[in-house]
Amino acid sequence: MNYKRVIYLFLVIAMPLVTFGKGDVKALFDQGNQLYQKANYKGALAAYQQVLSSGYQSAALYFNMGNASFKTDDIPSAIWYYEKAHKLSPGDDDINFNIRFANLKTADRIDEAPEFFLTKWWHNFILMFSLSTLSVLSIAFILLGFLLLTGYLFTSSVTLKKASFYTSMGLFVLGLITILMGNRQAAYFDSHKQAIIFSGSVTVKSTPATAAKTLFLLHAGTKVDVMETNAGHVKIKLANGSEGWISAGDVKEI
Amino acid sequence: MNGRYYILSVLILWANLLLAQSASFTASVSSTQVAAGEQFQVDFTLNGNGERFQPPNFNGFQVLSGPNVSQSMTSINGNTSVSMGYSFILAAVKEGDYTIGPATIYVNGHILGTRPLKIHVVKGSPQQARRMRQQQQAIDQVPAADLSKAVFLRASVSKTKAYIGEQLNVTYRLYTRVGILQNQYDKLPELNGFWSQDLNEHKQPTAAVWRTEILNGTRYNVADIKETIVFPERSGDLTIDPFAMTLVVRVPAPAHDIMEEFFGNSFKDEKVKLKSPPIIVHVKDLPAAGKPVDFSGAVGTFTLSADLDKKALKANESLNYNVKITGVGNIMLVKNPTVGFPPDFEKYDPKVTDTLSKEGGKIHGSKLYNYLLIPRHEGNYTIDPIKFTYFNPATERYVTLTSKAFPVAVAKGDRQTNVSALATDKQDVKLLDKDIRYIKTSDFGLTEQGENFFGSVGYYLLLLLGPVLFVAAFYYRKWLQRHNSDIVKVKSRKASKIARKHLANAQAQLATKNKSGFYEALFKGIYGYLSDKLNIPYANLDKETIAEALRKRSVNETLITRLQDNLDLCDMARFAPVTGISEQEVFEKTKNTINDIEDEL
Repeated sequence: MNYKRVIYLFLVIAMPLVTFGKGDVKALFDQGNQLYQKANYKGALAAYQQVLSSGYQSAALYFNMGNASFKTDDIPSAIWYYEKAHKLSPGDDDINFNIRFANLKTADRIDEAPEFFLTKWWHNFILMFSLSTLSVLSIAFILLGFLLLTGYLFTSSVTLKKASFYTSMGLFVLGLITILMGNRQAAYFDSHKQAIIFSGSVTVKSTPATAAKTLFLLHAGTKVDVMETNAGHVKIKLANGSEGWISAGDVKEI
Repeated sequence: MNGRYYILSVLILWANLLLAQSASFTASVSSTQVAAGEQFQVDFTLNGNGERFQPPNFNGFQVLSGPNVSQSMTSINGNTSVSMGYSFILAAVKEGDYTIGPATIYVNGHILGTRPLKIHVVKGSPQQARRMRQQQQAIDQVPAADLSKAVFLRASVSKTKAYIGEQLNVTYRLYTRVGILQNQYDKLPELNGFWSQDLNEHKQPTAAVWRTEILNGTRYNVADIKETIVFPERSGDLTIDPFAMTLVVRVPAPAHDIMEEFFGNSFKDEKVKLKSPPIIVHVKDLPAAGKPVDFSGAVGTFTLSADLDKKALKANESLNYNVKITGVGNIMLVKNPTVGFPPDFEKYDPKVTDTLSKEGGKIHGSKLYNYLLIPRHEGNYTIDPIKFTYFNPATERYVTLTSKAFPVAVAKGDRQTNVSALATDKQDVKLLDKDIRYIKTSDFGLTEQGENFFGSVGYYLLLLLGPVLFVAAFYYRKWLQRHNSDIVKVKSRKASKIARKHLANAQAQLATKNKSGFYEALFKGIYGYLSDKLNIPYANLDKETIAEALRKRSVNETLITRLQDNLDLCDMARFAPVTGISEQEVFEKTKNTINDIEDEL
């Protein structure tokens, strides 16, 4: 956990992009947490919602909103918020646990089509750290690498020269890996549009028309991949590989 | 006669009713075969009201009595029917074939005539001629050989050409002119290829309603023994099975002796086996044109209604949906209609209640389907309209009935039931923790939405910072290396630095009052400086070479002289005390001289 602090400290110092002056927002967030602790889940959700509507977001915020929604028995919303949090912090264990737990409360049980183990590893790998962590890490690695390489240029001691050269090369490799991970993760979330079903029961049709043949049924809270959109209908794909069209009003994209 | 007019005047009042019915005027004879001298009766019956009855000419017969006029009026269910009868008792005179011509009567200005009757007169015995008819259901004096004409079974069907599923009525009728003593049904028709339903069945023919009917001019006592409604189930020529029964009838027996003959009471009980002739019914397939795919097989005329007991309910509550098909036709053979329930509704097989009645010789009835539905999830649903198609054989068209569509609003159900319903589906619930993980209370990751640091300009600038720094350092080093590659230049550049070091040393010696040390440092400072600056080895340094080298570099002559004086002073002061000038002054002087040379070079 400590490295995170360092990273965020670095972020704060190095980047004017990070917004300051968010004291009010922080207070709202804390207020939401207090309400949650008092089991006033609706109030907590409202407070979190204010944070969100004032233009801020974070994995923790979405996670807490998911928890509050879960406690008010709004499973589809809970899953939606959890997935939002997951997107911001894909490696977070708490988030992933709650996603799994909330999914037990949904009506559909979809057996995931077995993924090729390399693909699975790859996805786990690129989703190991959040995108912000990856960006900070990559900058740190590359910067440190070049600093060491500069040191290599100026030092006269052979041992130091050797050590700094190899360490910098190692850092470059790490830096490139983190950049690649970040790039792939961004692309993954970009191409991998997902949505949560919000209607109680949805009939999946074979074509994007209301009168089309019904293929199968889905229920609130199920996560689907969004393939394409056409005339108020979206083509969805389930984890088990089934595809079909549903009305765009029945889902909310993550 | 007064009575007759009275009746007539009453009948006129009913004239409009009577007009509606077509009057029929029939002639019948009690027996078509009579013995010479035997009495027989001829009846002319008018089904209605007529006047000016004109009997035929009974040539070859002797009229014993008649015309005997009878009138009757019956009213059944408000339908009044009037009939008039004229009967004659005749006696055959001579054997041979005779024809009784038509009798005529005027009905509403039209003349009606009867069919001619053929009578075969055989040679008779006086005993037979004497015999009188005992009763209406008389046992005729028919010879045993003619029994098949006196008593027989017939089957009749309402239609011989029908569609599959169209209702047909089969009636088995017993015709008799002899008295029946005993009877027994042998074989009930199986009616293969038909769905059948008995309409009326009399255990005993005697329990049936008997009536008289004239068939080919002969009066028979007729009873409908069995009436069955049948629905053909397959196409093709189907046979309506014969109906068989065994009767014991009383027939006149030939007299054995004179006494018997005299009393005329010789009868014989005879056992007769009867069987109705089979009937072929041509059954057509229902037309393919306009036949829906989900045709339920209904043939007849029907109505459809549907209703739903609730329009709004909570999830996991039950809902009753009723569909009722009512009509005339093969209702009991109708397949369950396909109902378009929302796919998410839990549905059970319908409870079907049949109601059938056979009034008026037709199958009426209704089928009530009661569907129990349980919506499991909230949402707005629609129960699709039901389509029910039947074939109307009268118009030879398919008719499709459509019920209403019903919207159902399902609210969120109670949580408990919901969860338990899910728990049964999902076995692995119990393997996992009981609750979600707690909220995150510390948050240092609040960022503005829609902003992604990765891939932004700031990110790339920071990423470029490293290489830029490195390239800068690289070029700096390169410059540094080039700068230091000329040793002479470096030495000369470093000369003043070294001199300054020596001077600083000298100043330190001065502070400790170490005079010799002070001058030594000064001397070394100047010589070192000049050696480096002029690139002359330390060992070769002397006043002349220095002066020459300085002159070569076009240094001011006075400065050279000043330097030489200064060198002499330092040289001397190392070994002998110097007077007239303080150490501080010497130091300043040396420093100035070095500075001046540095400026000049």
